[in-house]
Amino acid sequence: MFYPRWLVNLAKGPAVLRRKVASRGKAASPTARLFARSLAIRHLDAGSCNGCESELSLLGSPVYDLSRFGFSFTPSPRHADLLLITGVVTDAMVPLIRATYEAMPDPRLVVAAGACAIDGCVFRGAPGVVGNLQDIVPVDRWIPGCPPSPDDLLDGLLALVGRAAQPRGEAS
Amino acid sequence: MRKTQEVADVSLIAACEQAAQGGNKVLDVFPAEDAVRVAVWEKVAGAITEVDLGAGPHPRPSRQGFPSLRFAEEQDFLPGTFAEAVADPEVVGDGMHVVPLGPVRADVAEALRYELNALGDEIHGLTLRRGYKRRGVAARMRGLEVPSALEVAERVTGTSTVAHALAFSLAVEDALGVEADGGTSVLRSALAELERLHSHLGDLAALAASTGTVVAAADLYRLRETVLRLAARWTGHRYLRGAIAPGGWRHGLADVRGELPAVLEDIEGQFLAVRRALDRTNSFLDRLHGAGRIPAAPLDLVGVVGRSAGVREDVRWDRPYAAYPELCHRRHIPGYAAGDAFGRYYVRCEEVLQSIAMLRRAGWAGCEGLSMPLPSRDGIGHGLVESPRGRLFYRVELRSGKVQSCRIRTASSINWVAVPLAVPNHNILQDFPIIDASFNLSVASLDL
Repeated sequence: MFYPRWLVNLAKGPAVLRRKVASRGKAASPTARLFARSLAIRHLDAGSCNGCESELSLLGSPVYDLSRFGFSFTPSPRHADLLLITGVVTDAMVPLIRATYEAMPDPRLVVAAGACAIDGCVFRGAPGVVGNLQDIVPVDRWIPGCPPSPDDLLDGLLALVGRAAQPRGEAS
Repeated sequence: MRKTQEVADVSLIAACEQAAQGGNKVLDVFPAEDAVRVAVWEKVAGAITEVDLGAGPHPRPSRQGFPSLRFAEEQDFLPGTFAEAVADPEVVGDGMHVVPLGPVRADVAEALRYELNALGDEIHGLTLRRGYKRRGVAARMRGLEVPSALEVAERVTGTSTVAHALAFSLAVEDALGVEADGGTSVLRSALAELERLHSHLGDLAALAASTGTVVAAADLYRLRETVLRLAARWTGHRYLRGAIAPGGWRHGLADVRGELPAVLEDIEGQFLAVRRALDRTNSFLDRLHGAGRIPAAPLDLVGVVGRSAGVREDVRWDRPYAAYPELCHRRHIPGYAAGDAFGRYYVRCEEVLQSIAMLRRAGWAGCEGLSMPLPSRDGIGHGLVESPRGRLFYRVELRSGKVQSCRIRTASSINWVAVPLAVPNHNILQDFPIIDASFNLSVASLDL
């Protein structure tokens, strides 16, 4: 049970873990790096067309298998590390986005997935559409696409926590 | 009961008016004023306009010609007024409690609030509160050029992109007085069937996941991914966006005629294996039979939900468009009478096989994607198609090359009404996720 390595890791603290998981790429922030091996995702639909949800549901399929990275979807924001927001931000959802974010324990991350969550896409300027997430909650990463494919979503999440290889030319 | 009144598209309103006048089964389920309130959510949206499209080539025998389509006027969005009850039975009593779900709920789900009235485990009522994701689609389209409005139409419901693009295109073509050529029609039908295939596979996977049959769910999700990748190779987009346009095509399509037969053969074989396994899994079938039975009420349901509840109607046969006069016959449209979760499972399974068969039958000459020039004139046009979830109607008014108004009537906006009736119908809380997955209606098409 008390194998030596475990004791060493315990003594050195999370610094060892951070060095290990950060070996492939650079995390968006020190907070994001904490979740490199275990990330509980709470999805929030802020007015999508169901395209993003359709791709998100495929992340659990054997083709993409989110769980092999230690990532999972959680039904409760209380258990969530990351808030994944899809869809144009509607007036009606603004207080709910804030409430969900407030319900999450610190440290927490926010990802805006899909063109709609980034700038409203074709619905920008429509009545009832806010289309700007940045003023509501702090966004750590934007994943573009209409809808972003499961590959894009996985890539965005892995890059956020520092597990994706950095693109060539980008300083690490 | 008013017998002279034609059963309309939103005949729910008529049904509830009848219910209020007595002698109707809706009355047995809910008190009259509550039954009427079921209807009010459409009525308060604005004045109801009636459009008569005339009789189709295959008018349904029980009705006089094709039913006129009624839909709510496009409304201006009022910030703050987002919560509307679809049904509010106001069940009260000792031990009765409310189980609130949403609008942020489940693992990955659309924003909709369910309030289940339960006594112990038994569900006695369901209230749906919608409006969280109203994007002002109709208002956004007003004044846009046709190509820009098409982009909005494609994003009304992500999993029904082709259906929306096709209905919009047919409406614009109708308004301009042009008609797509035969080759274009065949390809459009083929893409529509491909979309139906991936949508139904996703719905079936969600149903399998809700009953805990994870192996079947994994297989069905994998098959869906295969279809989506085929779609990406064919049109350049996994959800077939940007392919269909009024007059023909936005851009040329890849030629997949070579690989299509093998891919379809593969999908069909694997799907039949999954279905055979599910049909032999008692724990799966036990959860579906009798669960979420839609009570006998003149709801005039459409699509899969309607066909599983004895309303064997399909726009592809009733009023064939594109290449469906050659592709689709009444014998290709499955029907089931019980209206329970198993019926919806059965109808979806049959339609998956029919879609594969139609894709095989659709013989097309080329994939070059020719597009005809569109004349510039004003007019009003209608487009009626069968989306994966049922009948979809577009009415587009063009003025000087721009969309003056666009009104949309989606299948989900009709069928959602059945959910608050089906869920409390002798079901327990544990049945709710299964019933919800068996409907798998779109919230995006409800909150336009």
